[in-house]
Amino acid sequence: MEERKAYSRDGVLAHLEMLEAQAHELALKQEEKEQQEEKLAGLKARVQELRARRDELRAKLELQQKRLLEKGGAETHPEQPSARAVLEWKIKSVKALLQLFYLTGISGKLTKRGVCFCISTAYEGTYLESYYLDVLTKPEVQIQRHSVPIFIPLEQIAKKYLQTDIRRFLSVLSDHLNAYAARRYQADQLQERFSDRLEGTLQRNSLCNLLVFHYNVPSDGRSFLFTARLLYADPCCSLPTEAIISCTPDAPAALAEVAAAHSDAFRRAALHKAFDSFSKAEETQDEALISPPGSP
Amino acid sequence: MENSTYKVYEDEIQLLEEEIKLLAEKYDDVKQESTFYSNEEILTSIKLFQREFQGESKGQECPSDLKAQLESLEREISFLMKFTGIQFTSHSKKTLEKNENRTVQKHRLSGNCRSLPFQLEFQLLETRDKENVSAVITDLSIVMESGEYSDLSKFVSSTEEHGNLLLFFRSLSSYAEWYEHRRCTFLHFKAKYPDIVALPEGQLGDYIILRNPKLSGFELMIVWKIHIDEEGRTTPVLDLLTKVPEQVLEQKMGPIENAPTCFRSMLLLFGIETTIENLIKVTGLEK
Repeated sequence: MEERKAYSRDGVLAHLEMLEAQAHELALKQEEKEQQEEKLAGLKARVQELRARRDELRAKLELQQKRLLEKGGAETHPEQPSARAVLEWKIKSVKALLQLFYLTGISGKLTKRGVCFCISTAYEGTYLESYYLDVLTKPEVQIQRHSVPIFIPLEQIAKKYLQTDIRRFLSVLSDHLNAYAARRYQADQLQERFSDRLEGTLQRNSLCNLLVFHYNVPSDGRSFLFTARLLYADPCCSLPTEAIISCTPDAPAALAEVAAAHSDAFRRAALHKAFDSFSKAEETQDEALISPPGSP
Repeated sequence: MENSTYKVYEDEIQLLEEEIKLLAEKYDDVKQESTFYSNEEILTSIKLFQREFQGESKGQECPSDLKAQLESLEREISFLMKFTGIQFTSHSKKTLEKNENRTVQKHRLSGNCRSLPFQLEFQLLETRDKENVSAVITDLSIVMESGEYSDLSKFVSSTEEHGNLLLFFRSLSSYAEWYEHRRCTFLHFKAKYPDIVALPEGQLGDYIILRNPKLSGFELMIVWKIHIDEEGRTTPVLDLLTKVPEQVLEQKMGPIENAPTCFRSMLLLFGIETTIENLIKVTGLEK
C-alpha cells in the first residue's frame, strides 16, 4: 500500500513539475512574443518618424529652390538674420576657402610651436598624395616630423634652403615631390591601361626614375617584343632623359626605325600618352593596309 | 521569419537616415552657397553678438567662442596668403552633386599672386573611399589680364587644356617672383642712375634703355623676358641690343657685334644685377 502511494506521489510530483515547466515555457514564449511585437512596433514607428522627417526636408528644399529661382539665384535675407547666423556663415565660408588652399600646392596649419605645412602633388587635373612637414620655428627653424619618403633628398634640400629661405625650400621640395608623383602616376597608368601590351611586370625603383618594361609591337601581322629602359636623370623632371628601346634579335631591320620613333616619343611625352600615340599610329597603319589610300 | 521582417524595416531605417542626412546637408549647402554677407555686415554681427551675450555671460563659453573661432580661422588664412603670396579676393561655390562617396562642386575664385591678378572657374570632383579622398579638376578656365603678361598666354592655355590647376599656381608663383624681381631691379637702377637709365614702358615693361646723355645716337637696350614653358618652368631670358650711329659702326664693328655674346657671358659669371650695373657704368663713361 505504501509503495503505491509512493509511486503515485512521485507521479503527481513529476506531473506537477512537467506542468510547471510547460507553464514556464509558455510564459517565456509569451514574453518573447511580446518583446518581438514591441520591437516590431518600435521599428514601424521609427520608420514613420523618419519618413515624416524626410518628407519635411524634401518640402523645405523644394521651397528653398523655388525662392532661389524667384530671386534669381541669390538669397537676399528674407528674414533678418541673427548675428549668430551671420557669424556661422562667415566661419563656414572661411573654412571652405582654407580647404581649397591645398589646390595651390602649398598649404598649412599654424601650430603651437610653428607650422605644419602640406605639399600637394598632382598630375594634370588629378590630385595625388599630399606630404606633410611639421616645422618648428623656435629656437630655430627645424623639421620635427614629416611624411616625405626617404628617397627624396629632404636633408640636402633642407640644408641648402631651410634656414635662409623657407619658401624656396618648400618650392624645391615641391618640385621633387611633384616630379616623383608624376613619374609614379605615369607608370601606374601604363600598367592599368596598357596591361595587354605589356609582357611581364613593369620594373621600377622607389623613386620611379628608372623603368624597365617589355611590350608588344605589331608589325606585318606578327608581334615583336620590345624592351624599354627609361632613365629620368633629373629628379625634378617627369620626362625621361634617356629612353633605350631594343628589339629581340629576330626582329626585322625595319623595326629599328620604329624603336627610334618610340624612344623619341617616350622622351617627349608622358608614358601613357606615348603609348596612346603608338596605338593610334598602329591603327592607322592597319587601316592603311586594309584599305590602302587611293583604293575605293 | 521574424529576423527577415526586422531586416526589411532596419534596411529602410538605414536608407531613410542616409537620405535625411544628405537632404539636410543639401539644404545647408544651398543656404550657405546662395548667401552673401559683406564685411561690414560681419563686423556689425560680431559687435551685436558680443552685446547680446554680455548680459548673460555667467560662465557661458558661448559668446566668445564663435568670435574666437572666426578670428583663429582668419589668422590661419591670412598667414597662408601672406606666406604663399597667393591672395584670394573672392570665392563662390555651388554644390552640383553630393552623395556619400562623391561631391561635385563648381568654384569661382579670384585673387592675385603677388601682383598678378587671376580669375578661375573650375569643377572639383571629390571621391571618397574608405580612407582616401581623391580630387579631380575639370572644366578649368583661367583668365589673366592679357597683354601685359604675353609670356604667360601660351602657358595658361596649355594649363587650361589639361586642367592643371596645381601647376598653374606653382608656376604663377615663380613667374610672379621673377616679375617682382625684374620690376624692383629696373626701379633700383632708374633711381640710382636717373640720367642714364630710361624705362620707356615703365617699371612693368620688359626692357630698359641705357644711354649716355652726352653721346646721342648710342643706345643699349637690355631686354629681360621671363620665359615660362609648358611644364611651368620659369627662366629669365636676357638679351642686349645695341643701337649705334653708322659712323661708329663702321669703325668699331667688332666689339659691337660681340656685345650680345659678352653680355651673355657676363650674365653667367656675375648674375643679372652686376651685369646691368657694369653696362650702365660703361655707358656713363666719357668716351
